[in-house]
Amino acid sequence: MLDPQTVSFTLNGTPTELTIDASELLVDVLRDRCRLKGTKRSCDVEVCGACTVLADGLPVSSCTTLAVDIDGKSITTIEGLAKDGKLSRVQQAFVDHAAMQCGFCTSGMVLATTALLEQKPSASEEEIRHFLRGNICRCTGYIKILEAVKSLV
Amino acid sequence: MSDRLSPPNPDHLEKVTGRTQFITDIEVPGMLHGKVLRSTVPHAMIKSIDVSAALAIPGVVAVLTGADIVGLNHHWGPSLKDRPLIAIDRVRYVGEPVAMVAAENERIAEEALDAIVVDYELLPFVTEAAEALEPGAPLVHGNHEAIKDFYFKGEAKPVAGTNIFQRYAYEQGDVEKAFAESDRCFESKYEFPMVFHYAMEPHCVIASFHGDSLTLWSCGQSPTAVQKVLSRVFDMPLARIRIISPHIGGGFGGKASVKIDPLVAALAWKLRRPVRVCLSISESMLTARRLSATVHVRTGVRNDGTILAKSVRVLMNGGAYADTGPAVAVKAANRAIGPYRIPNLSLESVAVYTNTVPGAAFRSIGGPQAVWATESQMDEIAEALGLNPAEFRNRNLLRRGEHVRADLRPIDVEMGEAMDIAAQEMSRIKALDGDNITYDGTALGISDPGIMPVASVVMRLKIDGSVAVISNSVEIGQGVRGVLRKLASEQLNQPIEAIEVLTPDTAIAPYDWGTGASRSSLMMGLAIEDAARDILSQVAEIAELVFSADPAAVRFCEGGIIFGNEKKTFSELLHTYYGIDSGEIVGVGRVTPYSNGGRLAQAPLFWETAAGQCAIAVDEETGEIKVRHYVSVADVGRVVNRAAAEGQDEGASMMAFGHTLSEELVYQDGQPINATMIDYHVPTIDKAPENFVTVLIESGTGPGPGGMRGMGEGAILPVAPAIANALAAGYGARIRELPLTPERVWRAIREKRGS
Ligand code: FES
Ligand code: FES
Repeated sequence: MLDPQTVSFTLNGTPTELTIDASELLVDVLRDRCRLKGTKRSCDVEVCGACTVLADGLPVSSCTTLAVDIDGKSITTIEGLAKDGKLSRVQQAFVDHAAMQCGFCTSGMVLATTALLEQKPSASEEEIRHFLRGNICRCTGYIKILEAVKSLV
Repeated sequence: MSDRLSPPNPDHLEKVTGRTQFITDIEVPGMLHGKVLRSTVPHAMIKSIDVSAALAIPGVVAVLTGADIVGLNHHWGPSLKDRPLIAIDRVRYVGEPVAMVAAENERIAEEALDAIVVDYELLPFVTEAAEALEPGAPLVHGNHEAIKDFYFKGEAKPVAGTNIFQRYAYEQGDVEKAFAESDRCFESKYEFPMVFHYAMEPHCVIASFHGDSLTLWSCGQSPTAVQKVLSRVFDMPLARIRIISPHIGGGFGGKASVKIDPLVAALAWKLRRPVRVCLSISESMLTARRLSATVHVRTGVRNDGTILAKSVRVLMNGGAYADTGPAVAVKAANRAIGPYRIPNLSLESVAVYTNTVPGAAFRSIGGPQAVWATESQMDEIAEALGLNPAEFRNRNLLRRGEHVRADLRPIDVEMGEAMDIAAQEMSRIKALDGDNITYDGTALGISDPGIMPVASVVMRLKIDGSVAVISNSVEIGQGVRGVLRKLASEQLNQPIEAIEVLTPDTAIAPYDWGTGASRSSLMMGLAIEDAARDILSQVAEIAELVFSADPAAVRFCEGGIIFGNEKKTFSELLHTYYGIDSGEIVGVGRVTPYSNGGRLAQAPLFWETAAGQCAIAVDEETGEIKVRHYVSVADVGRVVNRAAAEGQDEGASMMAFGHTLSEELVYQDGQPINATMIDYHVPTIDKAPENFVTVLIESGTGPGPGGMRGMGEGAILPVAPAIANALAAGYGARIRELPLTPERVWRAIREKRGS
């Protein structure tokens, strides 16, 4: 390791401390070190949102976030949303509306929606469209995703 | 039959919690990571490759170059044997794999790529199809070796000494005479760009040689095609090659036939250790794309709007390797016909090599290119004749049972019905919305799916009544596992919870042609029907033996069988039969050209169609088109899973918004200049129409169980011409080149106003 550093953060509610290289990306730390493979990588350049996780409730692209920068923060990944085997309401709405096909965008889409509703529980359609613009889905055409999200506001 | 109440797709619960294992998530013990060094030049001889510095980097295990593979059958391809496993002495496009590094982790492998030095001797290159046709154009390949019946039936028709790798022609009637007799002839040229599939999950393969066997975790949509190519390359028996197909993060054709599997297998072959190669999205963009096309259409009509003749000439840019391009070229010609009565018809298509990313199958191969041209022209003709576009189409529409082309299966849907429904839905939407400011455009698309009626499935009925369905249908997001589960449940009359659809694995799943061309639900549905018959005949025979049942009276019931007044559980039946409380019945289902009395043999198996109507508004300051409402209508025969089926049409339509409004892979000086996701723009959620209505007509007239036909591709067809037609209707601006970027639209409107 070129430049080992220690990061402490909360991961899906569990205090976590890791020694990592200063140049490691959050997406790699989550997927390869923490073995949380639900976070996906697609574009690598903060365009598609597949790698979205929540840092203190705000969506961030883990593909362009240095893992050292999350020191002290609370990170939520897709694995941290369901509680006691019960889906979160956003997850449930995505299932109810069949708002996914291949599912590769789903983790990011569900987390971004979670953050949006946290900030704006009764977001307008325009706000939904604006907020989710950073999450690409190539399968669904977004129609059922919009239906799912609109069912929650 | 169809409902939203069926239990949620079990896959969805996994997906929404992040537990689905995609191929990028799989770890095989002891696996290394591979990265690909790609050509930076469009066309060159490789003078030397120096890998010594890369090999010296700690953590690097091996480097593969063309020199390593000379002992293998190193050229392959699904239609022409034109492609080396990895560049040997020559590169033919920017992005072609030149060397591969295997290392302990991806980072080291990536760093090592920079340490490899390749010395190229540049050759003249050609990136435009028209230029590739010219005499004296640089030749991308020296000679052409077409292979027959390898992946598709038949073979490509390349022309020696040219860049042409496919030539196709069809003629019926007397076209020239009919043009001479026409009151008016219309002739135009339409351009369709190179576009990228962009499945969200990049191509990823894990390969492992162990002893004399090879296992691959493949992102391929056609596991048996991958198996076959590898068997030829490594000269290994098919039975020693195992292809496992986990959940795939989208395909759209970009992972069809065979893509990176041979490359990754070659690295594993050298290493004799498992290796994983996961491309970046930019690399996936350099792996496959849709064939761009120039389509000339000439149509002769009478003043009353009757079409007398049509001639279509398609020129396709197939890139550096033919891949499935030869089939795409044939389909582009056929799909340009449309649902119209055309007594005199001439089709011609030519596909050429260029020094660009290899062209390949992409959702409705050749269809969007063809329909873009012909359906744009339909509106142009209607306008010139002073007819309403719908009226002009109606005047020439084929009715169900009439021939699109004399040698093909007659059309099996009513396109007029679909067009009317689209119009009615649009009026309804606009009335509800109070919208009186948008302009409408309509288009119709029909396609002849290239479906080989060859598929098989194994169903294992366990003693406890649970059933494993084992096939090679790959789940790429289209929901095939859910559909197979439902069809098996119906055919065996067992509760849906009893059915488990397994991950495709060629070691246990029987042969299937592949996943694509809207075929899987239908083909596997027929195979499941057959396998259920097989199981029923076996249980009937056993029931006769152990319970003296009349075998002809045995039927399935929940958890068992029923004959006369008697009911037995599967457990009672098999326990008595085997003597122990264990066991199963294995049913095999097969579909061949001889199945169903030979009725599946004629091409196409069914017509996949769509009617699309859009309503657009244009920001005249910027030229940006906003599609406010869209209606997609298709006769799918029968809906097996409504939400999934609608999702297919919604996804296909939005995908088409991309090639219509923003997407185009651009080449300059032999370099793809926008091949990253920063510069290449696919539709985002804010571009979704405010109102999107999908109408699925259930006519019950398809060849599958319950009258279903295949679906998933048709809805991509009408979008581009519908939008261009709306633009012309509203602003008088006719654009014949995609995408309809704001700049093009702005200019076209200004020109129109100026004139
Ligand atoms: S992978 Fe991070 S935004 Fe696309
Ligand atoms: S479901 Fe496949 S990318 Fe969204």
